[in-house]
Amino acid sequence: MIPAGETYLLNRVENQGSETLASYREHGGYIAIEKILEENTPFDQVIEEIKDSGLRGRGGAGFPTGLKFSFMPDPEKDPRPRYLAVNADESEPGTCKDRILLREDPHGLIEGILIACRAIRADAAYVYVRGEYRKEYDNFFAALAEAREAGLVGKNIAGSGWDCEIWTHKGAGAYICGEETGLMESLEGKRGHPRPKPPFPAGFGLWGKPTTVSNVETLFNLPFILNRGARWFRTMGTENSPGNILCGISGHVERPGVYEVPLGIPARTVLEEYAGGVWKGRKLKAFFPGGSSTGLLPAASIDVPMDHDGLKEAGSMLGTGAIMVLDETACTVRAMEVVARFYDHESCGQCSQCREGTQWLYQIFKRLENGQGKVEDVELLDSLAHGMAPGKTICALADAAAIPTHAIVRHFKDEMMEHANLGRCPLSHDHQLDEQREPAEAGA
Amino acid sequence: MALPQELVTEFNELCTHYPEKRAALIMTLHRCQEELGGWVSPEIMEDLAAYFEMEPVEVYGVASFYPMFRMSPPGEHVVSVCHNIACELRGAPEILKKVCEVTGASVHGTSSDGRFTVETVECQGACTTAPMFDLDGVYHEELTLESVEKILGGLS
Amino acid sequence: MTTIQIDGQDVEVDATKPLVHALHTNGTDVPTYCYHPGLSAVGSCRICQVEVAMGDGPGRVVVACRTPIAEGMKVFTSTDKAHAVRRECLEFLLKNHPLDCPICDKAGECDLQDFSFAEGQAEGRSSEPRRNLDKRKSLGDVIVLDEERCILCSRCVRFMEEVPKTPQLTVSGLGARSTISTFADRPLTGNYQGNLADVCPVGALTLKKFRFQARVWNLRKTPSTCGECSRGCSITNEVLRSNELKRIRPRYNGDVNEWWMCDAGRFSVDRHPLEGRLSGALIRGETGLTTAPARVGMERVADALRTHAKPVVLGSAWLTVEEGQALVDLSKLLGVEARFVAPGPNDLADDLLHTGDPCPNRRGLTELGLTAIDSAQALEAIAGTEAAVLIGERVLETIGAEALTEVPATVRLFSFDTVALDAPALRAALGVPSSIERDGHWVNVDGHRGMLTIARPAPADVASIVQSIEELSSRLSPAETSGGATS
Repeated sequence: MIPAGETYLLNRVENQGSETLASYREHGGYIAIEKILEENTPFDQVIEEIKDSGLRGRGGAGFPTGLKFSFMPDPEKDPRPRYLAVNADESEPGTCKDRILLREDPHGLIEGILIACRAIRADAAYVYVRGEYRKEYDNFFAALAEAREAGLVGKNIAGSGWDCEIWTHKGAGAYICGEETGLMESLEGKRGHPRPKPPFPAGFGLWGKPTTVSNVETLFNLPFILNRGARWFRTMGTENSPGNILCGISGHVERPGVYEVPLGIPARTVLEEYAGGVWKGRKLKAFFPGGSSTGLLPAASIDVPMDHDGLKEAGSMLGTGAIMVLDETACTVRAMEVVARFYDHESCGQCSQCREGTQWLYQIFKRLENGQGKVEDVELLDSLAHGMAPGKTICALADAAAIPTHAIVRHFKDEMMEHANLGRCPLSHDHQLDEQREPAEAGA
Repeated sequence: MALPQELVTEFNELCTHYPEKRAALIMTLHRCQEELGGWVSPEIMEDLAAYFEMEPVEVYGVASFYPMFRMSPPGEHVVSVCHNIACELRGAPEILKKVCEVTGASVHGTSSDGRFTVETVECQGACTTAPMFDLDGVYHEELTLESVEKILGGLS
Repeated sequence: MTTIQIDGQDVEVDATKPLVHALHTNGTDVPTYCYHPGLSAVGSCRICQVEVAMGDGPGRVVVACRTPIAEGMKVFTSTDKAHAVRRECLEFLLKNHPLDCPICDKAGECDLQDFSFAEGQAEGRSSEPRRNLDKRKSLGDVIVLDEERCILCSRCVRFMEEVPKTPQLTVSGLGARSTISTFADRPLTGNYQGNLADVCPVGALTLKKFRFQARVWNLRKTPSTCGECSRGCSITNEVLRSNELKRIRPRYNGDVNEWWMCDAGRFSVDRHPLEGRLSGALIRGETGLTTAPARVGMERVADALRTHAKPVVLGSAWLTVEEGQALVDLSKLLGVEARFVAPGPNDLADDLLHTGDPCPNRRGLTELGLTAIDSAQALEAIAGTEAAVLIGERVLETIGAEALTEVPATVRLFSFDTVALDAPALRAALGVPSSIERDGHWVNVDGHRGMLTIARPAPADVASIVQSIEELSSRLSPAETSGGATS
């Protein structure tokens, strides 16, 4: 069911000057939005096409995009200003795909933004780019200036009479600002504290106005869908997860990189055929399938289909499709120490369970890895993770820390116990120099 | 201290991008940090508070939330080494150790000659080109112990 | 009103308020930390979790403070799940919270302590070192912050923003490293800082003045009204067994002060010392002022009033309505104007509570027919008469000790006050109860009644002001008054 081969997302990025308007136009850019404007395609028809395509959000939650767009209120009933917020905060560990689109194909994103704004009848879009992505921000900013000059952004777009403004905005290093309501708070110039829901963004978003928040890669798909149709889109991927995704694969592999693959592709195929397999001729021990929040899966799960249903069935999630591979010499407890440290660092601190829990989890993993763990710690970790999630906090960062904690206890309890019983990490090694990869073998 | 006129002019334009002026705060904090000494000083916070008609404590609450805003003056160069999971898998601890060795700074510290501040940061989005550090706003990826030596040693 | 079900019982609730309000008004004990009825609801501490279902649908866990009321909603506060999620949340809160109860001022009135006792585990599961932060960070003259005890509920931040509307606090940093801060360690300013100790659900923000002063379970609490301005905030006077007034706190009054009071009122504790009080009377003899029983002093006053035509009788601005009425009656009996001495406005008036008028009962006394005069007019009246009687606490202070000392000794001056003044003109001084030792009421600037209740007994041989005035009246038989209506 998964035809290998058809790609569209990364087709332009290798082109010389791919980030320029000229290059984008040369390769069929802005045709979709111009057609929509010329024909004055009704907004609900645009949404229908997106719904029919089955496109699901690529930011980690996998929510059906067309459905999300349809949540925006009827402007007749609610005439307040309306916004699209573009989530270019990309901070999920393992994830580096939106970065490529922003830097190498910014016009593709701009067109996607315009189509989305047309669908949700938004007046303006704000592109929230993580603060560390300076080159990416600069390239996107330059592309936006080109587009504005060409009359494709701003007032009277392509002479249609439609006004739509796109603004760039920077984050400043907080992962929690990738959460849709944390992003909005940050965009408003405040601490990035996620908001309790309800109310939801479509009713109360940026500055209290109706807002839709969408991921970069999600929006990037829209010109393709509108140009070639929902039916075409569904020829790739699976029934419930159509289309291609940008799958990043990193860690202990020969060719780490971001690869465009159809949804539903077995993780094994990505590992072996795209990334050259586990490096150094070693064996696979464990892997994160979709970013650190999705938790470790054991090597035995490597045939899992990389789509929403397949990973859910395997007890994990697609997340951002960022695979991180651990070979036989790697320690899962050390991996979780590092991952738990991340959530401790990133918790905004509002919710008691998350603020204290993320720190507590980290402290326990750290002790366990450093030989001061106790056998009871394994059970305690699971119990604390249960106290943190699901559904007990304002946002899902608590879940993002809890899920991988449950996963290591489920799949690697023996290794954890060994740490406690031995009083040290059984795999303690010094990260030898020869494990460094030669720069010449760089992946995509 | 008052904000330099060029910055004020820039900020005035920036504010027109938003329906509420205050939304520009984080952008202006970045610019102040970039142009006025590499950190967010109490003076900067007071000036921005006056500019946005906020209280200094509100600006402080915002600035202190975001890891990219430094609340103390850094060395001439800032080396931000990623120590998150993808970089860990590709040898980040050794890179960090090497960085500290070459620069003479300890983690979250500044070298005694004031040239380098070394810090660890979370995932920077360079996972498939790990390990990495950000040097003064530029990513250096696929690092080796040798390349660390070369990049940092080669700075004037 | 909307009907919902709480733990199987149908109740009528106010749908304009969040679910937690309905729970509390119907006697359901769900704890809250970040939620305060006088502040915006943020839903961050998560302790008020309950289960809610619509119709026959499944229950889901929500925080009651951010849940709007919906007709037909079924709320379950005591299911295993509801107890479990609150207990889990509590465990997280206690993980870093220091075991300070034995030395913490908040013990006995601490929401965290109360819920821990009601619901919590007997033993903690954390073997991690707790956070090491500043345990006595001065935030200025009024408040001290213990960063370790703070549970980051942010009530204090929201209070400053929303009530006096002077943002001065923020959460700084993020996650488990957050602390409450001012900007650049500046001290807090303003006349409402004391409320921070009230809103803080734990012992993180406490009053410097109250630090280590008393255990709250040793305080006898009496409802009353503040006497520092004409707002008349409802308060609670809190007195130790020694009868020392240890603390004044605001009491909720929806018409006057809601949950708040100003620092000028809160720290008027100093206005009610036990020592230095006038007990019985002081009489001027050849050797100066000597102690005597109150009735002796009373006779001196009555004698002066009988003897001299047109005496001056001035009440203090702190008289209650009941006392004011007695004074009106006495004044009528004497055929003189009923007046009270009102201190002038101070500079404490603000947009929140303080009116800037130090008289707690200007409106009440004026409505009874008493005329307000200032200290200059009072002095003029006193100097121009042969007998003057001043009645009520702070009347000597209001007119002014120095000025009264200047009054020529040809005037027979008498005072009924909490303290005496050794002025040459003073012939006798009698003690009165202070406003925490009297019953009665004041009427505030907007016409609301503020009750006073006796919080501790007055000193020995001190009658109530009403009794003293009536005693005077009875000693002045109608046939013996001069300047009466008939002559």
